[in-house]
Parts: sequence; C-alpha cells; structure tokens
Amino acid sequence: MRRFAGVAIMIVTAAMALTVWAVLAATEPRPDWEPQRLVIGGWEVRYDVNGPTIGLVVAALLLALAAGAGIAIFEDRVHTAHRRTHPRVERRPLAPRRVMERTRGVYAGEVTVTAVIPAHDEEAHILATIGSLRAQSTPPERIVVVADNCTDNTAALARAAGVEVFETAGNTGRKAGALNQALAWLLPGLGDNDAVMVMDADTVLASPAFIETARARMTADRALMAVGGIFHGEPGHGLLGQFQRNEYTRYAREIERRRGRVFVLTGTASVFRPAALRAVAASRGTLLPGVPGDVYDTIALTEDNEITLAIKTLGGLVVSPRECTVVTELMPTWRLLWRQRLRWQRGAIENLASYGVTPTTVRYWAQQIGIGYSVIALTSYLVLMAIMLLAIDQWVWYPFWLGLGTLFAVERVVTVRAAGWRARLLAVLIIPELIYDLTIDIVFVKGIVDMTVGRRATWHHVGAERAAVRT
Amino acid sequence: MIPAGILLPVEVLHSHGYAVLASFVAVNTMLFLGLAIAKTLPVPRLRWRGGTRRGETRSIHPDEPA
Repeated sequence: MRRFAGVAIMIVTAAMALTVWAVLAATEPRPDWEPQRLVIGGWEVRYDVNGPTIGLVVAALLLALAAGAGIAIFEDRVHTAHRRTHPRVERRPLAPRRVMERTRGVYAGEVTVTAVIPAHDEEAHILATIGSLRAQSTPPERIVVVADNCTDNTAALARAAGVEVFETAGNTGRKAGALNQALAWLLPGLGDNDAVMVMDADTVLASPAFIETARARMTADRALMAVGGIFHGEPGHGLLGQFQRNEYTRYAREIERRRGRVFVLTGTASVFRPAALRAVAASRGTLLPGVPGDVYDTIALTEDNEITLAIKTLGGLVVSPRECTVVTELMPTWRLLWRQRLRWQRGAIENLASYGVTPTTVRYWAQQIGIGYSVIALTSYLVLMAIMLLAIDQWVWYPFWLGLGTLFAVERVVTVRAAGWRARLLAVLIIPELIYDLTIDIVFVKGIVDMTVGRRATWHHVGAERAAVRT
Repeated sequence: MIPAGILLPVEVLHSHGYAVLASFVAVNTMLFLGLAIAKTLPVPRLRWRGGTRRGETRSIHPDEPA
C-alpha cells in the first residue's frame, strides 16, 4: 500500500483541480480576449483591461486564506493536545507532562553535548566540521566521528584532530544504520541531560552560539526533546547555488515566522535528549514504524524527516531557535540537485505513507497536496501562455496581470531580503525562479511515478555523486 | 510584431474552453497570490492569554522558581 501514497496525493490534488474547473465551466466565464487599441505618439498599443470578476477574486483569496489558516489552526491544536496530554497516556511517552512527572525533583546534572558526526568518505570536510564545533562559544564536551565504510582518510584525520572515532561494523543501513550502531554504543552511558548532537560531515555551524542556545533551551525546559538547526546554503555554485540559497532562505524565514515550530529536525545539525532517542527506539514496531530497538529507521530515505515525525508522534516538544544556524553543502549541478530532491521528495512521501494520516502527519500531507496542486497550477499556466502566444497576432498588454506580477515580485524579494542583493536580484526577475520551481515540481511527479511503479530508490552520497560527475 | 496565427487560429482565444482555462489559471493565480501576500505581511498573533505563568518549574534545576 505504501507505494500508492504518492498516487493518493495526486488523486486528491486532481479532484481539487477538477472541482475548481467544473465550477468555472458552469459559471460561463467572461471571455478573456477583448483587446483594445490605443495610439500613443504614433505607436499602436493593444491592451486588455479584463481581469477575473470580483466574485472570483474574492472567492479565491478567501479559499487561500481558509486553507492556510485551517492548516495552521489544526497544527496548533495538535501541538496543544500534546502539551496537555495526561502523564498516564501510554501512546505519548514523550509528552511534556509525562516527562515532567518522570524527572520531577531529580537533578541529572548540567546539560552536556556529545556531537556525533556520521561520515562516509568525508576527508574533504571532516576537519572543517570539527573546527566549527570547537569554535563554538561552548564547544561540545565530546566529539565522536562515526566512520562508516570509509575508504579514505576520514578516521585517521579525525583521530589526528583529537576526537573520538567510532568505526561501524558490517553496516548496510547507510547513514541511519551507522547512527544506530554509534547510538547503541553511546546511549547507555548518557544521563537525562547529556544531549546528543547529530551533525552532517558536510556541514559547519554558522552561528557560534548554536550549542550555547541548545544548552540554554534544554536547561530551561527539561521536557524539550530536541533542538533543530536552521540551514543555509554555502556560497558559490553560481546561479544554481543562488536558487538553492534563496530556497533555504525562504525556508528559514518560514520557520522563524512559525516561532521555531519545526518541520524537520534537520540532519545537518540537531540536538536530541537521550530520552527522546531511547523512546523512539523502544516504540518502533508498536507506536512507530521501523525495527524495534533502532533509533533511526534504516528504510527511510530521509531519516531526519522520519525521526522528526517519530518524536512528534510520541508527543515530544521540539524547537528550531533562530540562533541555531548551520551552513550546508549545495548541489553543484542540476543533475545532482535532481537526485538529491528525488530522494528528499520520495523520502518525505514514503515516511508519510508509513505513518498514515495521523494528527501529527496531517500538516505534512497537506504540504504534499499543496505541492501537487502547484504542479497543476503551474502546468495550466504554462499551457495557457503557450496557447496565447501561438494564437495571438499582436502583443497585448494586460494591466491586471502586470499588477499581479508586481505583487508576486514583491513577495519573492521580501522573502529573500535577508540573503543580500544577489538573492533579491534573482527573485525580482520571477521567471528564473519559476523555472527552478518547475524543476522541483517535475521531481515531485517523477518521485511519485518511481514510487508507484516500484523503481528502486537510490541513496546517492554527495561525495560519490561528485566523483561520478567528474569521471 | 508577431504574424497572425502562428500555429493556432486567433478564434481559439474566443472559445469556451480557452475562457475556462483562463479563469482556472486566474483562480489559481489568485490563490497563490493570497498565500504570497500572507507570507509578505507580518504574522498575526493572538493576544497573550497569561500563558507565561507555569505551575512549576520546567528547568533541569528542581529548586528553581517557576
């Protein structure tokens, strides 16, 4: 059944689009082609002041508002329900009141941080990653590099840098499997306040106060189960790099507007309380999908997204404070971006399929349906443009649509304002980002097709992908 | 100036189907515009309802005041 989750999303999306279409077809829409002529200084200009009827505009705006607010309100209610869950409710072992009851009057020591860095042939990055940890205002007490099936000098470099190295044995479960082995070794020795920071080897902490902030948050709230990072893109990679940086900037802005409410506890860098990781491992096979005893689900293509769903499902509180920023690697070519996004997109839907529709996942399903609808919207827009351009005999200006385009340009620029003038310049042009979005939309469809026909998903390692491109 | 009817006759633009498609695109554009405007404006916040007071401390230090 899992493989049909993507199709289900597309069916819901198509049904929504068909409903809108049917309503419009029944209302005898006003013709959209009544150009007027105007002569300005000998030049003949053709224009068409027609726009959609007021009723249509209002209805569509209300629909957008209702959808957006509806999802936000639902998410808020789920959050509140988890916060208020009675301590005896067994299906939410991480609900705050339950954690509070368990730890009441107990002092488990100051919050410590053990950084765990899964690394598969990361000799090019590992030292920078370790360096950024040591440059923190409060560096982690321990740094453990998890050398997973390395054929390069990662382990030796890490040892020379003076950090602990854990070498995986017979791991076939990729990053999740490597983390599971390391955590099985590490977790038994950790107390309630000995947090684990899982961090990608291709990432550096951007804010020197990342760990300090995580410590402060976890000190102030013993029910807080995880602190997630907010990722930004590294510099470079030209236009393609700028597309990704703009995308990441908008995502970070969105998290900030949600006051740190987490979508994904990013694998680039997130800090977990041991209680959260233990509860997840203990709940797999019953409350959560996956193999009992595993912290990370080795089947998931996007294990960070999966563990976020896991902790949220168990009622745990999580947050992404604005101070916790990281800089992560970007995809240097379209081909690599395509593969990365195919994995993310497919991973997200597959995770939703294994969790089903639950209070925690409704928001994520809605997000996927939103992407699905944007595919239809963008495609129909391009079809309309194509028909018009192929059928018109002379250029026609549409004041209404020009005005609308301006509003979109404002939104595009405002949402990447923080990322500097290059970001704003790219955003104000609208069309390039539209093409980028179209690419992401095509990945969405491709991901669903692959899932449905049961094509094997691949988990490409960035280093390996780069090597493959070079050869 | 683009020559008349490169591939399609101009009459296509007067057809019912084209009008429906144009309205469909218009509605979708307005939908996304609504979301875009919402993302540009500051987030509406409900007035704080006295939620800052806790019954007990949430700190890891058990004797810290709430």
